[in-house]
Amino acid sequence: MRKGLTIGTAVALVTGAAMWFATTVGAQGGGTVEVEVKYNGAPQVEKLKVNKDTEKCGTETTIEKVVVGGNKGLANAVASAPGAKGASKAKAVIDQHGCKFVPHVVVMQPGEIEIKNSDDILHNIHTYSTANPSINKAQPKFKKVMTEKLEKPEFVKVTCDVHSWMLGWVAVVPGVAAATDTNGVAKLENVPAGKQKIEVWHETLGKQEKEVDVKAGSVTKVSFEMKGK
Amino acid sequence: MPKPRDFTKGLYKIRTTANKVPMDQDLFKIITDGMPGTSMPPWAVLPDKDRWNLVAYIKTFAPDAFKEAPKKLDLPKDVSSSETSLKRGKEMFEAIECHKCHGTEGRADGPSRPELKDEWGFPVAPANLTKRWTFRGGASRTDIATRLANGVLGTPMPAFLDSVEKPEDIWHLTNYIVSLGPERPRYATLITVSATKDALPDDPNAEFWKKATASAIPLMGQVIVDPRNFNPVIDLVTIRAAYNDTEVAFHLTWDDPSETKGDGKQTFPDAISLQFPPQITASTERPYFLMGDASEAVYLLRWQQGKGVGEASANGPAKIAPLQGGEVSGKVVYTNGQYRLVMKRPRIAKGEGRPTFQPAVFTPVAIQAWDGGAGESGTRMSLTSWYYLRLEEPQSNRRFVIPPVVAILTLAAMFLVVRAANRAR
Repeated sequence: MRKGLTIGTAVALVTGAAMWFATTVGAQGGGTVEVEVKYNGAPQVEKLKVNKDTEKCGTETTIEKVVVGGNKGLANAVASAPGAKGASKAKAVIDQHGCKFVPHVVVMQPGEIEIKNSDDILHNIHTYSTANPSINKAQPKFKKVMTEKLEKPEFVKVTCDVHSWMLGWVAVVPGVAAATDTNGVAKLENVPAGKQKIEVWHETLGKQEKEVDVKAGSVTKVSFEMKGK
Repeated sequence: MPKPRDFTKGLYKIRTTANKVPMDQDLFKIITDGMPGTSMPPWAVLPDKDRWNLVAYIKTFAPDAFKEAPKKLDLPKDVSSSETSLKRGKEMFEAIECHKCHGTEGRADGPSRPELKDEWGFPVAPANLTKRWTFRGGASRTDIATRLANGVLGTPMPAFLDSVEKPEDIWHLTNYIVSLGPERPRYATLITVSATKDALPDDPNAEFWKKATASAIPLMGQVIVDPRNFNPVIDLVTIRAAYNDTEVAFHLTWDDPSETKGDGKQTFPDAISLQFPPQITASTERPYFLMGDASEAVYLLRWQQGKGVGEASANGPAKIAPLQGGEVSGKVVYTNGQYRLVMKRPRIAKGEGRPTFQPAVFTPVAIQAWDGGAGESGTRMSLTSWYYLRLEEPQSNRRFVIPPVVAILTLAAMFLVVRAANRAR
């Protein structure tokens, strides 16, 4: 009875909060920015023979430096609107699965990230960063989940020394942000109306920015073309 | 080859802290003790005060890094070594997959070894856990437990404090690692070749060799002629040797992280050779230790991966001529990062340029070794200067006769003395 009541209260509270959140955003007059990132060059995907842990990692793997999908869309780029506050604070998750980091690029707000190991073998989370303290922690097979803090905005490279081909990125980005899909498209929701700076970052192709005029309640499209270095 | 530390990063491998900033004491210890296995020598020769001043000065290169206060790492409560602790340590060693880099028996031969890079992208080698005296941050139990708990910064060695099943596992692992090898090697000065009437077994794993006396000999990088080898992989060879009437056999053991035949470009065949003067004389003159020179040759009894055992005559490292027609044989095994090799030849020289091995004669000997997997070949080798080996005298029955005779004579003498004393009274 008591439990039911508590759950009821919680549900009510959450619904209330969500409604309040929706109305405030609505009041601000947020719009959606559809960011399209294109790349004219050739994809850079290296194939590699695997010589250990082949039951988990397979006998061949790929290092995905530049992934180009349909219509020259550039995947794994991060689009962000740094001026848009109030983005979702959901905990970011990166998984080590099949001796790859999944997803290849994780986008998160400054805060905590959950690091999973679903491979049942040893990995080590080794980050390369300057703003945040770099991490090098072992994650043996029995350590399924670890939580780490990344509190400063930064693009953090993540590697595993046990499997040198493993490469991932954690984009710690304040404001609304998302990674592009295989078609090179990322949707930034609830971006406040008015002039907004949109940034695009890619691990090997660098950064670009543009200004867009966001209109409340509608979709603004912006297109980037990344150049090979 | 380990590069010198970049002081402007404020990033230090060896620290006893839970965060990245080292304690002043950590820097002081490295300056004082140096870093074994690297070019960093101990500076204990400097007065304490100067070393502390150095610590203060080094910190000024990275003022930002040292803004944060160091936080002392709290190690779990110490667990002393015991049979149960060692068992648990081995269990954990396997569960956390130390072998991935350090190898199943700890000889730095794990499958991830060739790919390891440090923070700056330079290749870096895992520690050989059977050679504790080469540990960069020291060989004590606390040193080892600390490295396990907070890792080695700037290298692939991660922190394990939160990644073992129970905190005290850090100490079980430490105890297990300590059990893998001696604290320091006991180097031999003279190699004894023991006499036997039995046949000399070719098999390096034969029981015969397990019982034989082992002499550990340190090797250095060859840095006299170009190209030099400043960071040799093979730093120790253990020799066992025996002879009978007709043959002499040498049993060599050394660690090499990979069994390599070589591609001839980046890698080369692993190899080792024993060097002797071509004639053993009573003279103290010996050929030049670095494979002889133009005026005096040396004799090499050698083994090469893929080629087996052979003999050669050398007038310097660039002038090596194989000797044909010798009756040499041998066998090599490679397991878990270690070579074991037997090389055998007739005791009495057959043909020119080869020495005869005589009992009770001090015979000069030197060793050269190549880790082809690390790109060593030619003058890029590890070596020793001249050592001596000695074939012990064949055991005769005299040892059963002389001691009892001496004992009886002594007893008789004592008896006479006592009697004389009694008479005098």
